[in-house]
Amino acid sequence: MPKQSWMKLKDLTPAASNSINATVILVEKGNTIEEDKEKTKTCVALVADETACVNFQMWGDECEAFQPGDIIRISKGIFSRHKNKLLLRAGKRGSVEKVGEFTMLFVESPNMSEMRYMPDANQPSKLVPESQLTKP
Amino acid sequence: MTVPTNPLLHYNPYEAKHQLDLSLAKAYLLLHSQLKPPFPLTIPSPSEYALLTQALAFSLLTQPDLTKINLKHLHASATDGYDIFTTTLLNLTDNCYPKLLPVPRTQLLFLCSQLINVAAFKVDSLVISLLRRINGGDFTEPNLWLCAELAKILSDNWDWLIDEPLVLTSALFVFLRLLADHYRLVSGPQLDELKRLEISFCIRVLRNCFHLCLGIGRDLIRLLQDLFVIPEFKELWKDLICDPCKFGVLGFSDLCDIYRIKTPRHYFLLRISQEMEAQLRFLLTHVKWVNQQRYQVWFAKKYLSLPGSETVIVDVIRFICQCYHPSKEIIQSNVISRWAVIGWLLKSCKRNYFEANAKLALFYDWLFFNDTIDSIMDIEPAMLLIVSSVPQYMEITHCLLEFLFLVVDNYDVQRKNVIAKGVLGAFNALVKRGVVHSLEVLMNCDKLSPFLREKLSKFLFDKALVSQEKEIIQMQSGDHQDQIAGMPEQAHQWL
Repeated sequence: MPKQSWMKLKDLTPAASNSINATVILVEKGNTIEEDKEKTKTCVALVADETACVNFQMWGDECEAFQPGDIIRISKGIFSRHKNKLLLRAGKRGSVEKVGEFTMLFVESPNMSEMRYMPDANQPSKLVPESQLTKP
Repeated sequence: MTVPTNPLLHYNPYEAKHQLDLSLAKAYLLLHSQLKPPFPLTIPSPSEYALLTQALAFSLLTQPDLTKINLKHLHASATDGYDIFTTTLLNLTDNCYPKLLPVPRTQLLFLCSQLINVAAFKVDSLVISLLRRINGGDFTEPNLWLCAELAKILSDNWDWLIDEPLVLTSALFVFLRLLADHYRLVSGPQLDELKRLEISFCIRVLRNCFHLCLGIGRDLIRLLQDLFVIPEFKELWKDLICDPCKFGVLGFSDLCDIYRIKTPRHYFLLRISQEMEAQLRFLLTHVKWVNQQRYQVWFAKKYLSLPGSETVIVDVIRFICQCYHPSKEIIQSNVISRWAVIGWLLKSCKRNYFEANAKLALFYDWLFFNDTIDSIMDIEPAMLLIVSSVPQYMEITHCLLEFLFLVVDNYDVQRKNVIAKGVLGAFNALVKRGVVHSLEVLMNCDKLSPFLREKLSKFLFDKALVSQEKEIIQMQSGDHQDQIAGMPEQAHQWL
């Protein structure tokens, strides 16, 4: 069983795997909307740590559970494209829980959800933010 | 086979379990079968004892039906003066009190009184932590219940209390402060009983242990002022002013004797909760200028949104001025300054009554400033707020200076010279220590109203202040009738 490694948001890259473990603070919360035919509730929030911020999508009763100022621990989350938006979420195999309030520093840029990611020239299977592209 | 347990803490959905809850529950699950008689006669090792204590604590808090047997076990096994047990309850109070479910909460207060009965080690700290848990500006039932419970426990354990000066005076500080809000801001039959308890406790302490109350120092006067409308306190005030000998304390013959005593800083922790303290310290230690906006919104939402809750701003300002003195590194860094946070807090006061008391809290250390016993850091935030508001926020500068002069003239008319001397000393110290380069920034400021510029000038160069010593001696032998008329006014009447 691989040991969980905690990462900073600046190191987020889109991937199909649920391997994101991060502690973030919820900065701002969007409206809860009802998606798809089953009327599942979703809500997108801006979460952040000291290095970057990202758009975090909450599903179902996650939407009511978290408020701005909450410190949240995301385990085995997934950072991927959903309806053409890059979002961080707990996903089916991940979990999210509140571990505190207020006492965490954060930045409101860069937003990793708004980054353009390109294949790394040396490792084409890996995506990196455009600004971090290595020259071949 | 799982062992059934009752929950200790309330968790909202998606909330992580608290470490302390987990370890107490774990200890209980390991040892629950040993909590029933027959109890072992062997002496447990230190680690076994610690585990047993935690298991007992969990059971005592969550299983009230087993109280009798668990208490017997606790008393029989305690070999450390209940140190570990009380420390466990203390940790729970400091870290988890808001999440305690109703049954454990009731048990906690019950256990506190039991520990007082056996004079348990650290029970004084437990009582003080519980006193901090009475939230200011919170008139909900659980909070008022806690207030009443503690007042009852302390009243019922008077003999223990009078041998614990720190607990005694801390409790007095807390109940005097709460009474002002309970008397003024809310009403109702449940509250009448609570107010009666609080009044009776405070008057008993003041009348019987005044020598200990003096140790609170000058903020005691600030607290007593707000209670002038209560008949029992009006009588107390009459005696304080006209018959100080009635208190039978050597060294107390006039209010000035109390003004001279600086209130020890730990009293100011009593009126802000443990979480509020952590958040304020974080804000003032780590958050950089420009970034404070979000934190301020979150703080206001959590602590200042219910009606009447802004009363706590007074206590927050006393805390910031007295208990949080940033290091040189922090002052020179880009971290938000105390004066800016105080400016935001003053703006958050919606009603004049709260704003006036908040301004008094900000300037209180100026009124009796004595360079030899007071710290420049107590008075620095007010000065910096005044000058930093020039020229963009002149209304703040005007508002604060006007208030300061109003207080000097009206706070204690009979002892006006003492206060003027204090404020003058504050101004001088601020310049001497370089908090401001000089007061020219105000005196030569053309945006400052001519009235205030003149008033400031006159005040700073008033030669009459030099001869104030003579006047104090004269006043002490003066006519008592005049003194009754000159009794301290309440802050909100000064607007």
